Parts: sequence; C-alpha cells; structure tokens
Amino acid sequence: MKIKYLVSFAAIAFTFGSLGAIAQDAGLSALDIIGNINSRADGDHVSRSLTIELTDRRGIKRTEKTVGFRKYFEGEKRTVLFYTEPANVRGTGFLTFDYLDNELDDDQWLYLPALRKIRRISSSNRGDYFLGTDLTYEEIKKENKIETKDYVFALQGEEVIDGHKVLVVEATPVDRDVAKELGYSKVLLHVDPEVWMSRKSDFWDINGNPLKTVLNKSIEQIEGIWTTLRIEVENHKTDHKTVLTFADVDYTTPIEDDVFTQPRLRRGLR
Amino acid sequence: MTSTLFFNFIIRWRWPVLALTLISFLALGSQAPKLRKDTSADAFIDPTDPALIKRDEVEALFNIADPILVTVVNKSSDGIYNKDSLALVAWISEQLQSLDNIDPDQITSLATESNIVGTFDGMEVEEFFEQTPDTAERIDWIMSAIADFPLYQGTLVARNGQATVVVAELIDENKAAETYQAVVQLLENAPVGSADVLHVSGEGAVAGYLSAYIDNDARKLNPLAALIITIVLAFAFRTLRGALVPNLIVILTAGGTIGAMAAAGVPFYAITNGLIVCMIGIAVADSVHIFSQYYEEIALDPEADGKTVTSRAMAAMWMPITLTTFTTIAGFIALSSTTTMPPIFYFGTFGALSVFLAWLYSMTTLPAVLSMLKPKPSGAFKHVNNPTKKRNLSARTLHSLGQVVLRSPKVTAAVGLLVAIFAAYGASFVEPNEERINNFKTSEAIYIADKEVNELLDGTYYLDVLVETNASEGIYRPSVLQKIEETQLYLEQADGIKGSTSIVDFIKQMHKAVNENDQNYYSIPDDELLIAQLFFLYTASGNPTDFEDKIDGDRSQALIRATLTQNKYSENKLVVENVQQWLDDHFEGSGATATITGDIPVSYHWIAPIMQNNMLSVLVCTLAVVLVASLLFRSFTAGLLVIVPVGLSILLIYAVMGATGIWLSVSTSMFASIAIGLGVDFAVHTTHTMRHLLQKKGATWFESLSSLYATSGRAQFFNFVAIALGFGALVSSDVPPLLKFGFLVAISVSAAFIASLLLLPPLAMVFKPKFLGASINEN
Repeated sequence: MKIKYLVSFAAIAFTFGSLGAIAQDAGLSALDIIGNINSRADGDHVSRSLTIELTDRRGIKRTEKTVGFRKYFEGEKRTVLFYTEPANVRGTGFLTFDYLDNELDDDQWLYLPALRKIRRISSSNRGDYFLGTDLTYEEIKKENKIETKDYVFALQGEEVIDGHKVLVVEATPVDRDVAKELGYSKVLLHVDPEVWMSRKSDFWDINGNPLKTVLNKSIEQIEGIWTTLRIEVENHKTDHKTVLTFADVDYTTPIEDDVFTQPRLRRGLR
Repeated sequence: MTSTLFFNFIIRWRWPVLALTLISFLALGSQAPKLRKDTSADAFIDPTDPALIKRDEVEALFNIADPILVTVVNKSSDGIYNKDSLALVAWISEQLQSLDNIDPDQITSLATESNIVGTFDGMEVEEFFEQTPDTAERIDWIMSAIADFPLYQGTLVARNGQATVVVAELIDENKAAETYQAVVQLLENAPVGSADVLHVSGEGAVAGYLSAYIDNDARKLNPLAALIITIVLAFAFRTLRGALVPNLIVILTAGGTIGAMAAAGVPFYAITNGLIVCMIGIAVADSVHIFSQYYEEIALDPEADGKTVTSRAMAAMWMPITLTTFTTIAGFIALSSTTTMPPIFYFGTFGALSVFLAWLYSMTTLPAVLSMLKPKPSGAFKHVNNPTKKRNLSARTLHSLGQVVLRSPKVTAAVGLLVAIFAAYGASFVEPNEERINNFKTSEAIYIADKEVNELLDGTYYLDVLVETNASEGIYRPSVLQKIEETQLYLEQADGIKGSTSIVDFIKQMHKAVNENDQNYYSIPDDELLIAQLFFLYTASGNPTDFEDKIDGDRSQALIRATLTQNKYSENKLVVENVQQWLDDHFEGSGATATITGDIPVSYHWIAPIMQNNMLSVLVCTLAVVLVASLLFRSFTAGLLVIVPVGLSILLIYAVMGATGIWLSVSTSMFASIAIGLGVDFAVHTTHTMRHLLQKKGATWFESLSSLYATSGRAQFFNFVAIALGFGALVSSDVPPLLKFGFLVAISVSAAFIASLLLLPPLAMVFKPKFLGASINEN
C-alpha cells in the first residue's frame, strides 16, 4: 500500500506544472480528471495542527485548536486528534482506524480527560458531520479525494477561479441510496489541473436545494505534496460557516506507531 | 332650501357625478388585486408588543422555527410498535424529503433518529431504523430503546406508544400554506396500515388551513349576503330598481373600501370577511331609507318627474342619513381607537371609511341614478296618499305594535327596565377566554389533529424560559444547570405542562451513556470541565446546528422549552403568572437570570388586555355616540335617549353570551362596538322622525307618534331585516368566530331595532323631553 502512494507521489511530482495543459490537450474525460485527483499524493504520514473556526448564523465564532497525526498502516489509515483549545476540552482526543476494506466499519475511540476514561464509540456514517464542522466524515476521510464508485462524472467545461484555470466536473450520485448516504444530489467540482484539487466545490442536498460551498484556499506545495492550508465551508441552508486552517504541516518527520494507540490517546500530547 | 338646491345641483350635473363615481371606484378598486392575506396568529398582536418582541428575539437567537408535524396514530394494543406503522413512518420521512420547501436534512422521526447507549467499554450510536423494523425482535428493541431515552418520550413517541411524529422543517416559512397542502396531498397515497391514522398539524398548517378557509368563506358569504339583501329589498319595494340600485351602492362601497385597504398595504385578515358583510349592511341601509322616501314622494305626487321626486326624497332624508352616518362612524372609530389588535384596528378604521363612502355614494350617485329613471309607483306604498288602500302587512303590523306600546307608555318603560336588569345579571356570566384552535369547526381535520396530537404527545404549544448568564460558557456552570433542572421539575408539575426539554437533558443522557448506561449517572456532573466535554462530545456527534435551539453559540444563554397541550387563555393565565413568579424567586442570586417567553406567554399578554379594552371600547363607543347624537340634535337629553335602546341591546347580547357559554374572545370582543355603531341608526331615525312628527300642531303626543310606525318604522324594519339577515349570512361561515360574530351582531341589531321602535316613543311620552318639540300642546 505504501508503495502505491509513493509511486503516485513520484508521478505527480514529476509531471505537475505542465499537467493542466496536457489534460485538456489530451482531451481527458471527467473520470480521468477524478482519477488524477485520487492519484494525488498525500504523504505516507503527516503531522499538523488544525484550527477549527465555527461561526453560527448570528456571527458568533467558536475556535477550537487541535494537533493531529495521520499515518497509513497495512490495511488501514490511522488518525489521532488532540484538542488543545478551548481550555475546557483540552486533552480530549479522538483515535480512528479507517479500514481500507470498505466492508469494515471504522473503529473510533474517544478520551475525555474530565472522565479519565477511554470510550469506544460507534463508527459514523459517511454523511455525518465531522466534529461539529460543515464537512462530513467522508470529506475529512477522503482529504479532497473522491470515491469514484459513488458518482457519475461529467465534464462541464472550464472556468477561472482566483486566477486559476479550472475544469468544471459535475458529480451525480449513482443512485438515490448513495445520494442519501452522502447527503448530496449533485456536486460541482472546480478542479485545478495544476494541483489536481478542487478549488471550489458546490453541493446540493438530496432534494436539489443549494447546500454548501467548500473552498480550498492557500494551496501550497509542502515537501513536494500539494497541500491546502485553509478550507472554508459555508452552509447555505443554515448560514453556519467552518474554516479549517492547517499549520506546521510535516510529511517527513517520522511518527511512531504507538502515537495511534489507546495509552497515547489517554496520555495526550505530553 | 339649501338641501334642495344641493340635490338639484347634483341632479343637474348627474353625468359628471356618475363619471366621478366611476373614476373614484376604478381608482380604488384597481388597487384591490394587491390585497394580501395574513392568517398568522401573530397578525392579531401589536408588532410593538414587548412580549412579542422578546419572543421574536429569543426565536431568532435560538433559530426556532414552526415545523409541519405529521403524526401517525395507532390505538391498537401495540400502538405504533408494529411493522406497518413503522414502515409508514419510514415512508413519510422518505417522501417528505422530496417535497418542495421541506428541508430534507431537517426531518426528524424514528426513521432519522439514533439511539445513544452506553456499553461496558464505550458508547453505541445506532439508528433506530438501521435495520428495517420488520421483525418482532427489532421492534421490541426500538420500543425498549425509546423507553430508556427520556428525551424522545412524549416528543418523538407518545408515552403510551400510540403515536409517533415526523417533524419537517420548512426552508421558507412564508410558503407554509402551500407546503401544508402538498403534505396533505402526499399523504393521500401513504401506505396506511389498518389501524393507522394520520394527522397533519403545526403553526404552518393552521395558517394554511385558515387561508383556505377565508377564500372559501369569501366565495360563499358575500354572494349569499348580497342575495339575501336583494330579496329583502325586492320585498320592501316590489320594484326592480328598488332591488338593484342599492346593490350598486354596495358594490361601490365595498370595492372602494377593499381597494383603499390594498392601497394602504393593510392585509386581509380572517375577520375581514366580517367587514365585507358589515359594509353590505351599512351601504344598503342608507338606500332603504332613501328609496322608502322616494316611493312615498311618488305616491304623494304621481305626476312629478324623476328629478323632482328624487330631489324631494333626498331633501327629506339627507339629515337622518347623515346623522346615522356620524354616529356609526363614531362607533367604528371608538373601536379602532381602543383596540391593541391590528386586525380590529383596521376593521374599525376601514369600517368607518365604508360608512363614509356609503354616505357619499348615497348622497351623490344614488340621486344621480334615480333622477334618470322615470318614476314608477311601488305597490308597497299605495296607501300613502290613498286612505282607501289597505296598508301593507309590515306597515299594519308595526302600526298595531305602536298602538299597544303608546297606549301604555309607563308599562312599556317598566318592561324595558326589567329586561335591562335581567340582561345585566345574565351579562355577569360572560367568560373571557380564547383558544385559537376554536377558529375551526370541531369536524375539521386540523381541529381533530390538534386535539388528538395534544392528547397523545406532550403538546404542541410552547412556553419557553430564557436563561441568561453574563459570561461566555456560563451555562456550563453546574449551579446554573441545576437551576435549569429545578425549573424543568417545577414546570413539569405545573397544571397544563406535560413535558420540557433543555440542554440539561442532553448532558444527563450523555453522562449516563459514557458511564456504561448506569441510570445513577443520569445526572448533572458536579464538574464544569466534564459538563463542557460531554456537551462537546454531543455536539461533535451531530449537525453543526443541532443544538442551536437549546444553547447559543457563546454558551452564555440557554432555552428551556416546556410543552402544553392547549393554548387556552384561562389556563395560560395561571401558568404564566405562576411561572414568572417562581423564576423571579428562584433565580435570584444564582448568577443567572430567567425570563418567561414563547407562544403561551405571548398569547396571555395580548389577550389579557382584551377584557379591559372591551369595557373601554364599549364605554368610549357609547360616549362617542352620545356626544355625536347630542351635538346633532343639539341636546344632551337626545344623546341619552338615543343610547337607551342600543345599551339595552348590548346588555342583552352579553346575557346571550353568558347563557350560551360564548366566550368574550378576540372576535366577539368587537361585536359590541359594531353593534352600537349599527344599532344606533334605528334610535337616530326614530328620534329624528319623532321630532319631525311632533312639529305638527294640534295633535297629541299619542297621535303624532302613532304615525311613526307605518312610515319611518317600516323603512327601519326593512333596514333592520337587511342588516340582520346580512349578518345572519355569517352563520353559514366555516370560521366559528365569524359565525358567532354574525350571530351576535344580528341579534343585537334586532334588539336595537325593536327597542328603538317600541321603547323610545313610549319613553318620549313619559318624559316629554324638550328637544323633541316644546311647542306641542298636549291638549
């Protein structure tokens, strides 16, 4: 599994820059574009701090700060997230084992410092919202990639967003069940072929009402990997907004395996 | 005479008068299509009412909406815990997602909710319908899960298991009426099990229902009232013009008034249909008197041409008609100046405008039209100048009645006094009360839904308590949460309150879930950090906006929502006053404040003044009429005399209300002022005619007053029949308050007519007031 990612990473690293022009000249299909997105490297492991800003419809903002680690293991992706702010939830941690075999449910554990207990929590549905943000577990898990089996894709043309030429791809769930599972009836992706990432994604709810817009901002190359450092989400139905800001992104410093264990979850960042 | 000159002028320039009439009608009438309807409950509340403003602020703060509720009821032994009912819940939840204006992400039902339960090593969140509930085992699991989840009991599923609700939030609440209709239509195809019954309710449903009611009512009532009045006119005058021309005045008056309402941006409320019937009655009343005089003039001088008889009739009638116009306007203005409710304010204001327009068109358009028509005698007036002709039945009957009362004036006055005393006693039984669902007939689906849903679930009416702290995350303090819990315990013991929810319920549920589902942990932790973390955990597991109706973004304010099964003033009064007192006593020194708000307190606050306002309105109306009548007749005694029959009729109606149990409510509170305004016309006409008849020298009081009955009395009789039957048409209304309003006004106008004709002349004979004609020589 690691090998697969390293290969994709090398391929992207080698070809980026001129790829956009090639994509269009070569007449890539919508599926090819999605394939390129999904082939984008995201590193074997990463550590980063994440600030979550949640703004309600009245403009009241809550800021949560976390430090997170993610690492690919044989058969699963493990993620751990520790809250550092606000003070009253400091030390709260979530540990997730996301099995690459789709038939298996994720495993999740939670540590509440005030309770001093680790609790196993049942897995979330793909369309559930992630930790009170406007992004779903599916979106967080896929890290700007898309499950090809879920959608039918159609290339809609080209646009320019923030000075970047983007390819507009419409993704429609393959059937009503998938639509309900994901919570969407349509997604419009604005894929930048320079980075193989959607700069702007519009979502419609299962009844076709405009639902939310996700903007990937500050896309930078860190240690050879295209990384979005700021994700802005606006829910059009609830007027709730989420801004995720990533910092201290590190793809190279090795992360020990025991970071992703229950004892470490209890111990926190100490 | 000046008046003759004026009407000759009108008749001479009749074409320009008609052109001006048409232009004014078209100018106002063309605005009518702009009229919009407002059937919301809030329409009756003054927008500046502090209780309303507070509730709106709180609703905005916690983003509280009025959803549509679909309730599945199954009264069999297992209740809704059977395969068919649960499949129906799944079907409704699924199908509602596809309806326009329903937010597919904000549907709450057994099919969308999850059970959160603690296990030995953690916490399981499992959707109730994760496995299709088609086996006895799974259905039992759902039943026991609900039994162990207090938050869902009484709110999602009835405590006795006989009902469960599907709550659908709307994207745009202004389209609630259409959405309600779409939901009803959708449910026609629902796979309803043999013992399942479906109900649709919610504020959106009520407003939608009422809106359809108004349209149906308007289509039915107004033509019916017009038809009844036309028949009355045909009987009164036995001529085509007598039956049709007054309808022209009705159309001009109603069109002008409705157009003016639309132009002023005033909406059409549920009670506005009553105004239209009122206008029909008012507009026709002036015509009845003018036509009576017109046909009398023709009978007296059969050779005179159209212009001459019209001019004579108008010269004779302008004065009493103008007098009654002033007194009726005084009644309507008194109504609008003493009410706090916008629909009644506009009822009074535009009622006054319609009286003015009816007078204006009767004084100008009516003579212009009449003067063009060749005079033709009416069969009903042959006796006027021909003693050999027998008086018609109505004239004969009225004359005979007149003879009876005039022969025993003191006895008549005494009977009148006794009736007044009896009526005052009956009036003391009137109960002030209001319940909005009574706007619907008991056979209507919305009424049945309200009663059934409120009987089975914890209630669809809300009393909210806003708890405020002065610090960010202040709500997490255990002492504050304990106050909230105590408040909920108090609320749930109060009469009429069946359940309550707040952030505390979620924290307690979560506390239990993280502690192996041990019931001993269904409590508020005594640790602010644990509280914050439990709540954080709960919010992290749901939609970002899941808790915005319980706690604000800053965690400094929280809402306790108590549910009641009825919104009835008499019950609300006790609850609201007691709860506010309890909050004042118990939150003192707790570091938090608590304020009562929500629909129930708002209903209480705006209905409470109706009682004082009703008395004030009647008093102001009475004084206004006395004042105007005194000025017009230039005698205070005249003012007092004029008010006697009206006062008696109002007392009688309160007695009828007391005896029949009709509440003094929003709609019935305005009947008295309107009845005064309309009923006083009879007293004014009678008084005016008495004064006119008593000018005749050489006749006794008895002789002079005797001739009142067959002439003015007859005109008043048809005026009364037209108004009473016009209002009587409201009895066929589908809106019960309008029905009661019509019934009460019809009865009071009848009483005012009878009292004016049968009581005023005998009183005049007993007291012989000077203003009636001091020159009369009794001998």
